[in-house]
Amino acid sequence: MREVAPYARRFFDPAQRLSRIGGGELGGKAQGLRQASEVLAEHGAELRALGFEVDVPSLVILGTDFFDAFLERNGLLEFLAEEPSDVEIAQAFHRAALPAEMVGDLRALSDEVHVPLAVRSSSLLEDALGQPFAGVYGTKMVPANQSSADVRFRSLVDAVKFVWASTFSSGARAYLAATPHRGERERMAVIVQEVVGRRHGERFYPDISGVARSYNFYPLAGARPEEGVVSLASGLGKTIVDGGLCWSFAPTRPRAVPPFGSVGDLLRNTQTRLWAVNVGTPPAYDPMAEAEYLLEIDLAAAELDGTLRYAASTFDPGSERLWPGLGRAGPRVLDFAPLLVHGELPLVGFLTALLRRCEAALGAPIEVEFALALPPGGAPRCGFLQVRPLLLSRETVEVGDADLQSPAAVVASRTALGNGRRELADVVYVEPEAFEGRLTPEIALEIERLNRDLVAAGRPYLLIGFGRWGSSEPWLGIPVRWDQIAGARAIVEATLPQMSPEPSQGSHFFHNLSSFAVLYLSVPPEARPGIDWAWLARQPEVARTAHVRHVRCASPLSIEVDGRTRRGRVRRAEA
Amino acid sequence: MAVKGVNPFEMAQAQFDKVAALLELDAATRELLRFPMREFTFAVPVRMDDGQVRIFRGFRVHHNDARGPAKGGIRFHPQETLDTVRALAMWMTWKCAVVDIPLGGGKGGVICDPHHLSQREQERICRGWVRQMAKNVGPVVDVPAPDVMTTGQHMLWMLDEYEAIHGGHYPGFITGKPVSLGGSQGRTEATGYGVVFTIREALRQLGLKPENTRASVQGFGNVAQYAIRLYRQIGGAVVCVSSWDNNDQVAYSFRKTSGIDPDELLSITDRFGGIDKAKARDLGYEVLPGDAWLEQPVEILIPAAMENQIRGDNAGTIQSTVKLIAEGANGPTTPEADTIIQEKGIFQIPDFLANAGGVTCSYFEQVQSNMNLFWEKDEVLGKLDVTMTAAFQAVADLARKRKLSMRDAAYVISISRVAQACHDRGWV
Repeated sequence: MREVAPYARRFFDPAQRLSRIGGGELGGKAQGLRQASEVLAEHGAELRALGFEVDVPSLVILGTDFFDAFLERNGLLEFLAEEPSDVEIAQAFHRAALPAEMVGDLRALSDEVHVPLAVRSSSLLEDALGQPFAGVYGTKMVPANQSSADVRFRSLVDAVKFVWASTFSSGARAYLAATPHRGERERMAVIVQEVVGRRHGERFYPDISGVARSYNFYPLAGARPEEGVVSLASGLGKTIVDGGLCWSFAPTRPRAVPPFGSVGDLLRNTQTRLWAVNVGTPPAYDPMAEAEYLLEIDLAAAELDGTLRYAASTFDPGSERLWPGLGRAGPRVLDFAPLLVHGELPLVGFLTALLRRCEAALGAPIEVEFALALPPGGAPRCGFLQVRPLLLSRETVEVGDADLQSPAAVVASRTALGNGRRELADVVYVEPEAFEGRLTPEIALEIERLNRDLVAAGRPYLLIGFGRWGSSEPWLGIPVRWDQIAGARAIVEATLPQMSPEPSQGSHFFHNLSSFAVLYLSVPPEARPGIDWAWLARQPEVARTAHVRHVRCASPLSIEVDGRTRRGRVRRAEA
Repeated sequence: MAVKGVNPFEMAQAQFDKVAALLELDAATRELLRFPMREFTFAVPVRMDDGQVRIFRGFRVHHNDARGPAKGGIRFHPQETLDTVRALAMWMTWKCAVVDIPLGGGKGGVICDPHHLSQREQERICRGWVRQMAKNVGPVVDVPAPDVMTTGQHMLWMLDEYEAIHGGHYPGFITGKPVSLGGSQGRTEATGYGVVFTIREALRQLGLKPENTRASVQGFGNVAQYAIRLYRQIGGAVVCVSSWDNNDQVAYSFRKTSGIDPDELLSITDRFGGIDKAKARDLGYEVLPGDAWLEQPVEILIPAAMENQIRGDNAGTIQSTVKLIAEGANGPTTPEADTIIQEKGIFQIPDFLANAGGVTCSYFEQVQSNMNLFWEKDEVLGKLDVTMTAAFQAVADLARKRKLSMRDAAYVISISRVAQACHDRGWV
């Protein structure tokens, strides 16, 4: 790859959209952006011919040397050794001075840039592991639209410090403890990148954000893993990153509707709120908050902004069907039908070509992130935000139908995700008698505590619970963040009757599953044999909380998932 | 101070005349800018600690204030002369103009030797100086600052007297105050850091990476120390530094080819800033004659001590490896040495550009004081870097386009800016 040129204080110079400030490493995300630039350098013209002005939005990378210098010169390493709380860390970082060598470049950037900027982590261990630490480190949007360069500079500096501080948050530390890099010191580069989007009064956001993968570990019904998957959301990509509701499809079958049980289910399980950068009235000053400059808006507001043009269908209660577009009154449903069914813009073809080119360039299955700005009457723009290789498990595991029926099966699933075999003795499960939908936030905290102890003891475990794990909607499942369950090597989802059996696709929660090769077994309530709760109840207890039990089996359990057939089971040692 | 036997004011006028000709300035503008706008010479009667009254001579010169209030230091020096102050005031005009800050040039002083004065006597001189000048200085007229043998303490005495006379708080009257009393974050580092910001830009222009360069520095005072720190932080190595030895009354150079550590050296300096030779040897430094700093096989020379240190008689000893000289001190290079350096093809960053970080940060201090709103260090240093970098680039662009030396290009920019302001105001 070409060397990244130093920032020449011309952020939007078309000849040099990617530059660096300071030495050291660039980190995983920055490497991805370099690769994205390389792909476009070679195939940009061909991709642009497919109907989208595609580019890597202008960015600068702050190298890891500045991170090191910041910690060292402000005595933060000694401070961190005392294991301060997240708030204390954020405050100490906020007070500390940036290295003098970098402030001039940041100041120059603030002087010239008046569009919203995303300030993101680009971690070194992320790069070393070859997988993203999705949603682990902080990202901060800064509106950069204030007329005073001083204010713009201040908010940029605060954002950089915020991202650096997030390296040491309890969540990040718990996450890291579950990786082979446990105990190593993380080093963080930071990316400052133009946000792709359009301004609508007091808010700024892309019409559509998306993540596309050329290989799908968790294929939708009927599709093969090689067909890949695309997830789309309106507004900022935060919806997808946080595991919010978004729309997923295989690029080979853009018209296929995910198997929702009913229209009500569809209405409940599609996106209803979206994220935007607040470019209006300045919010209360809160440099420690990730969402300081973010707004969450509803579909009515987005419709007024004119950004649902390609995203929405309308539900007609009379005919009980969805009509692509906004042409009639009724509830809006973000199923992206104007693009996927009517093909109003050639997005599917464009994404297919992008995936193919990236896969060829990287020589492996890949994942790309993008954001679309679709001005009425103007050329559609695609900001190419990331490309990275996906890790695939090649292990061959065979789980036959008979294996599911075997008396040794503690859990049997026909909709398992992932591929491979794990051996472990610890099980953390939500007791079926104690479970209620309204209790899920409490249960998440209980699991976090047990997870922390298990991670500290270096014991991987099997996690069993009800509803969709990592759901942002507490009624649909247990709303855990990834770091709260980072020690789980296999997860069982006992599907709730009102839910779709298909797990949420494209969320970073599920991305983490695949990155960490966590096996995921989904078991519907009517499944037989399903889950052997009685056997679990007999296992010796290590710890318990109000609703969750931690047991340790005398002999290790074997968890097996056959990625080709999607059959999976948890098998106890034969008596 | 000036070369012995040379009147510094005449030297400053000669420099101006050369550039005025280049700019084809009209006669009235030349006449206006060749001389100060205003000069004040006055007596400062001071009752000494022994009860006697001594009369000190004080000066203040406003060379030009077309672009803004006069700005410049107050020097306490036994050999102070009005012509020195005039020359320095003129150089301040050019220095403020080259970094494009809205200030004019001034300078002041008192003929005295603080080494032989008690703190109370110095305080009385400061207060006496302000009483004489109170109507002709102030945040919107003339903003003094520390200079040779004056410190933040002197500035606070002067500020206090000024505020007593005017009956209010006017922190913007004077700069160089301690941070706790209205001074600016980053002021201590500003001059040295400013030197390195220009070095960084020059290296970029020369196609050199900082990590592939070595530097030799004359002086180990405030400017040198912070320049050394930042230069090391951007990747360079300082292999030699010279410092004045107060006991021996000569300078020595301290060399360590693996790179010097400023903190290590600071730990073995005496209260005058001189480096202990024996301890330096123990730490692996070679102790060499004072001029040796100039003769090192390095890429960068940073004279950051006194004026007239690179002269016709020693400029020939500069090694062929040297690509860049950044003048941290005022007037370190004589005109004869300039010629030799140019013949060697060495890139020069002239003093009033390289060391303008100090006055730029003083300007920031004044702005903050006037607003009574104080910035964090990041903010001060960020603005400083942007200001210095923009100034360097403007000078370097002009030097390239018009095939001028960096010094001449800097003068052309400064003088044309000041001349333009005088024209725009309708003075000439």
